[in-house]
Amino acid sequence: MARRIVTIALGTFKESVRERVLYNLVVFAFLMMGAALLLGRISVGVEHLLLVNLGLAAISVFGLLIAMFIGIGLVSKEIERRTIYNILSKPVARAEFILGKYAGLLVTLLVNTAIMTAGFYLALGFEQRGLEWQDSYLLVALYFILLELGMVVAVAIFFSCISTPILSAVITFCVFVIGNFSADLRWFGQESGSKLLLNLTSALYYLLPNFGNFNVIDQVAHGIRVPAYLIGANTFYALLYISILISGAVLIFEEREFR
Amino acid sequence: MWPVESRRRQQVTKPLALLIVAAGLASLYPLQRSLDGMLSSGSSRRETMIFLPASVLLRRVSGGYSGLLAGIYWTRAVQYYGRHRLAQAQEYALLGALLDITTGLDPHLLIAYRFGSIFLAGKAPEGAGDPQRAVHLLERGIVANPEHWRLWEDLGFIYYWDMKDYAHAARAFRAGSERPGALPWMRVLGAVVAARGGDLQTSRLLWSEIARTAGNNAIRRSAQAHLAAMEAKQLLEMLDAVLADYCRRRGAPSRISGKGAELGLDKARGRCLPTMHDLIAGGYLRGVPRDPTGEPLTVGPDGRARLGPGSKIDLGLAE
Repeated sequence: MARRIVTIALGTFKESVRERVLYNLVVFAFLMMGAALLLGRISVGVEHLLLVNLGLAAISVFGLLIAMFIGIGLVSKEIERRTIYNILSKPVARAEFILGKYAGLLVTLLVNTAIMTAGFYLALGFEQRGLEWQDSYLLVALYFILLELGMVVAVAIFFSCISTPILSAVITFCVFVIGNFSADLRWFGQESGSKLLLNLTSALYYLLPNFGNFNVIDQVAHGIRVPAYLIGANTFYALLYISILISGAVLIFEEREFR
Repeated sequence: MWPVESRRRQQVTKPLALLIVAAGLASLYPLQRSLDGMLSSGSSRRETMIFLPASVLLRRVSGGYSGLLAGIYWTRAVQYYGRHRLAQAQEYALLGALLDITTGLDPHLLIAYRFGSIFLAGKAPEGAGDPQRAVHLLERGIVANPEHWRLWEDLGFIYYWDMKDYAHAARAFRAGSERPGALPWMRVLGAVVAARGGDLQTSRLLWSEIARTAGNNAIRRSAQAHLAAMEAKQLLEMLDAVLADYCRRRGAPSRISGKGAELGLDKARGRCLPTMHDLIAGGYLRGVPRDPTGEPLTVGPDGRARLGPGSKIDLGLAE
């Protein structure tokens, strides 16, 4: 079983590379070099802070774009091209297909993030003439970005099993946006004074993925360490959410009929 | 063979997936509640008010990128200040709002409070001439960063220099001295300001400590410029006293008796208007006195001591 998942994952990774997904790294490299060289000239006292924030934001945004736009096509593209018949006629379970596709995109994102992280630390080292111990705290923010990306890919795969690629993209984007503001959504419910609205917004708050949990960029940019219990809880939360979504996707995909 | 195996697998996969979904959904609620507890213990994420200031709204909308936005707004604030400063502007209408947005987006951006308060408090054209707003900015900074004693020091400074409110200045220095890591001279400063108010010695003590301990080159240079201005002012006062003494000994009526007095004498009309050469020849001076930057002092046509034409000292900093 594991061998089949790995084979599909590798195929997905190779396909992403063939589709020139990693070209975003060139843009990132230019962004980091430009920022490291220019920020000192246009700002006062926040060169380091801006570089950290810009680097982490770029890693997160590039990753999200890849997760969203490749994620929604993972299943639907196979159906559109009718290559799904070819795959499922072989001894590959539908669950293995979904897991393999998910793992493949995750590997793509992991490689992409790892290269961007290396470039980011290079730019940091250049800007401050070497690295400091506090710079290691940034790795927690990068880890949280990866967890977030893992969740976004799971959301994209889940909806791509139900709907068309365009609709999946729209829904995934909406879930991501709402997931970033779900705390505010609940707050609006609390302020509305309506019990029904409060119950509804609270239900959405607990049901939708809460991406706000992973937002520690500000904290680590100021050299504040993220507590270990938060790292553990966020890891558990992300794994739980990914499991729910992938299991849901498997359930839907198992029932799906291809004509 | 494969379809049979496939059906068997399906029989295992489907219940397992259903179980994961059900158990996962049931676990989401307690897990998110415990995460809420962890996150809210570190910071106050919710503001309990209906009206949202621009900075709070921007922070919410920016999602996880509020730090980046804060950096951009701070850069805009610095550029806005720089442009207006170069143009010798008398008004910095947007400066306060830009600083409010910056610090609202990132309440831990210490440099925005420290430099921002200097920009706001300075008299036009050096600053916005709004020390009260500078005090509010620093007070917000102290609430968001209670462990940073330097913000108390800056607050004391604004009260001392720009508002001449020595009681509040002393209180700020004393409060800052109680923060962890505060340098010992903060306590001394609090006591001295409380006892002596705004005399020159106290001011010199203040700026000397700032110049000695500033972690930022711009702040250190500013402190050194203030010290040089105070030293030059003291030299000019001493030279004025020498000029007055010279005239008195020659029986000419001199009106130089201290700060703010004018000589008002004219050699041509039989009045006392000595040159630097007269003072040296009369043994009042050993040589031409120089300001802290090395530029020679002169005597103006009004008979008062002045900085040389090449001097870069800004006497306004000693006020």
